[in-house]
Amino acid sequence: MKIELLEEIIKKRSLKKEFALLTNLETSYSEIFEIGEPLSKEFENNKNEIINHCKLKKNGIIEKTQIFIQNYTNPINVVVIGAVHITQYLVEFAKNLNFEITIIDPRSYFTSENRFKDIKIINDWPSEAFKKIVTNSNTALVALTHDPKIDDPSLQYALKNKFFYIGALGSKKTHINRCERLRELGFAEKEISSIHSPIGIKLGGKSASEIALSIISQLVSESNKS
Amino acid sequence: MRNLLNEKILEEANTWIKSKEKVVLATVIQTWGSSPLQTGSKMIINEKGNFSGSVSGGCVETSVIKESINLIKSKKNFKKLEFEVSNENAWNIGLACGGKIQIFIEQIN
Repeated sequence: MKIELLEEIIKKRSLKKEFALLTNLETSYSEIFEIGEPLSKEFENNKNEIINHCKLKKNGIIEKTQIFIQNYTNPINVVVIGAVHITQYLVEFAKNLNFEITIIDPRSYFTSENRFKDIKIINDWPSEAFKKIVTNSNTALVALTHDPKIDDPSLQYALKNKFFYIGALGSKKTHINRCERLRELGFAEKEISSIHSPIGIKLGGKSASEIALSIISQLVSESNKS
Repeated sequence: MRNLLNEKILEEANTWIKSKEKVVLATVIQTWGSSPLQTGSKMIINEKGNFSGSVSGGCVETSVIKESINLIKSKKNFKKLEFEVSNENAWNIGLACGGKIQIFIEQIN
């Protein structure tokens, strides 16, 4: 691989560009490919298979060729509602996983920069905050304030925008009340039951770090299903 | 999906190159059976044998490091390596888990 190509990959990824890297295993020639862009003569004959692999985000040697393809894709966005103690541990765990965390919390005491370094924090109410970020069906929501004023609008937004994972902290009783409020707003039973609550996989822990671990474990498990 | 880790390795490779080290990039290009790491996993190696990242659970790294140092010495640009448990060197470098992997090593230059 050429040093220039390595630098280009790093630059494109720092700009959050998604692309594939193609390598001819017989010559070690590599190039970057983005859907819609032309391919060099080296790879032109396998255009259809290359595009298919890109669409499916599939890595590997393309059948009956000596072309290796590797997709460079963005990490999963995890929107955390509440800059609470659990969130501080979530941020730490996420560093070595394929997640990128954005925190929303209207309470400025919680969102102080000393508590969260190098993390995108939006110090605003959810209805305003969601206007400032891009979300899609590849986004996850983790609601941790257990304050209906903050969590409820976030859950509604996530349900309407079909987030791939929605989890909310709170006791069984809190969740029963929460479901009732969503029902009154017209959300379907199927949508409501898709919310993971109590949030996280069962580890039995009660401390902030243990709860964060159980949440991040559930996120890993759910993201590997899709 | 574990792209972030691979991207960190590429950034590290760039840092090594900037400090005038010779760097080989190793990538898992194909796996069969129960090999430990998925296709696309990466590791970098310099001429002294220092390495970062991984291409297996520790089973074949030693051998990949040796091959990479040889690659730098031979002035060749790339080589395809294959490891499997039925290999006669199984006691030395084989995959204890019974899988088979192909690794592509290439110089970054």
